[in-house]
Amino acid sequence: MFSITVNDRGIVVLTGRLDAAQTDRAREVFSALEASAIVDFKDLDYISSAGLGVLLATQQRLKKEGKAIKLVNMNRMVRDVFRIARFDLIFEIE
Amino acid sequence: MRRQFEKDIRSLDAIFGFLRKFADEEGIDGQSSYVLNLAVEEFFTNIVKYGRGTGNEICLEAFRDGRTVTVRLEEETPVPFDVTRPTKTQFDVPFEDRKPGGLGIHIAREMLDGLSYDYVDGTSRITLIKNLER
Repeated sequence: MFSITVNDRGIVVLTGRLDAAQTDRAREVFSALEASAIVDFKDLDYISSAGLGVLLATQQRLKKEGKAIKLVNMNRMVRDVFRIARFDLIFEIE
Repeated sequence: MRRQFEKDIRSLDAIFGFLRKFADEEGIDGQSSYVLNLAVEEFFTNIVKYGRGTGNEICLEAFRDGRTVTVRLEEETPVPFDVTRPTKTQFDVPFEDRKPGGLGIHIAREMLDGLSYDYVDGTSRITLIKNLER
């Protein structure tokens, strides 16, 4: 199960498992972002390269306009995936 | 445990269910379970996208021997197609031009303790090994 919502403070909240079968839902929300935003990973249990691809495309699009997404509250395994992919050099992770 | 899955991205939920049941029965820890989920997803989706097999199904087999877990993905195919070969990652490409291609196999390879491919009697077989802490 995966869900993605934007809360009343504009924070993108990810919940559950972002795998290759769930990227359409994630892409739909991220492609609508027009300003810099925080993405909260607190309740995201799992991500694979398919999810990284959606985040990469979002960051590339926003950076062209001088904006960015910042990723917060990752669990240890999700953070490991970002580190191995060297995405910790692309995103601000807190 | 052994089960066939339709060669379709929509099979992922059932595959994760299979791996969850295996992890529960064998007492696999959460971190190792994450690695196995990720590795199986990356290779399964690669076969779905690029595989040259003739059948509509992929067979998944998982077993534990002491502190070692083995998961195999098998596909009937007329030609060998080794998706475990090191892939080109784009670490040297400038950020704005970078694409995620090849990343999944790289991540799986880094997180696993063993990975091999063999082709016998018309069947491609990918073997994933993960050593457990306990």
